[in-house]
Amino acid sequence: MVRTAGLLLAIGYSAVIVWLYASQPQTSAEAIGGLAASVGAYRVDARAFDDGLTFFRDDKFDEARLAFDRADPARRDARTQFYVAYSYYRQGWGRFYNDDALFTRGLEAVNRAIDVAPGRRLVVDDETLGMRSADELKAELERGLRRELSDLDPRRVFETRK
Amino acid sequence: MTPLREAVVLPAIFLTVTLLGGFRMAADVRLLPPSLSALVLGLLLMGTLTRGGVLVPQVFLHGGRTALENVSGAVVLVTAFTASAQAINLVLPERGLLHAAFAVLLFCQFMTLNATGAGRTGLLRSLLVLLGALFVLRYIVVEALYAPDGGLLSRMLRALMAGVTLGGIEYQANAPLTGYVAFLVIVLYVVGLLLLQPDGTRALTRTHRTVETLPARVDTRP
Repeated sequence: MVRTAGLLLAIGYSAVIVWLYASQPQTSAEAIGGLAASVGAYRVDARAFDDGLTFFRDDKFDEARLAFDRADPARRDARTQFYVAYSYYRQGWGRFYNDDALFTRGLEAVNRAIDVAPGRRLVVDDETLGMRSADELKAELERGLRRELSDLDPRRVFETRK
Repeated sequence: MTPLREAVVLPAIFLTVTLLGGFRMAADVRLLPPSLSALVLGLLLMGTLTRGGVLVPQVFLHGGRTALENVSGAVVLVTAFTASAQAINLVLPERGLLHAAFAVLLFCQFMTLNATGAGRTGLLRSLLVLLGALFVLRYIVVEALYAPDGGLLSRMLRALMAGVTLGGIEYQANAPLTGYVAFLVIVLYVVGLLLLQPDGTRALTRTHRTVETLPARVDTRP
């Protein structure tokens, strides 16, 4: 009995160690949330998410991200991370130039969203967004970070934020 | 050895060492798996522990035991190896010339311990001193030297060392919490090694003296 219990304990503990080393959580919230997500017990704070969405639609991006962080402290919810990435995109987008630092953080967030999305496919049903899939958003952020000759094209100033 | 110690206590201790042995905290938290040199040195350390009688594989694995008992024993051996590799990973700087220097030093020390045949007590004492000395060297001396808020003297020493080694020395300083965790890990690892003792042997005591065996005091007073 003791040996069986010890064996199960060792197997479980080893699995946790392997998972921690593979996922490299940065905070205790990420570690606990990641473990909860792996057994399907992780839930997003719906009220905080709604707050974040309201701020996001009012172009209050810093406030929106604070609310999204509260809603998804472990960064394990694909939809929330998609909105976090989108907030970086909208805040960093400029008619003449983009903010590379914000776009880089947006790219990190959209990669997180893709990583935790089922089958790495994420489509958000939101009429107010110009890009509704994580693939579009990722490509747009990568395009914004790339240095190209087309950056000097004067027609660029007529482009609109998505 | 009791089943509780073999099946629960020892794996729990060694797995905790495995988990925390890679903990590094600077601007972010990292969990470092053992480097290749730490794995090789860990294997060498397992050999040293076996030769010195600290780890007796026959206690954990033999034909007279049931399959479940043998699996339980194998878990102890495997976790002891991962803990050894992580304990070494803990005291080795991550890269550069310092990593190589510490690794060579550990290799020579393990070979010396193998050659001297110090026995269980001597080996445990030597290992305690070796891990303690490397802990002090890495987490007190080197960390102080490479601390981001170091003074002019430490900056001059760093520049001097980098110049002498043609930039071969590179070290990323850690937050103080890393040192505390490292201390705990080394203590846990040594406790795990002490608990590996087969029944009937003592941990760090060379001989068991009683009052009767102590030499009589001679009264020299007039």
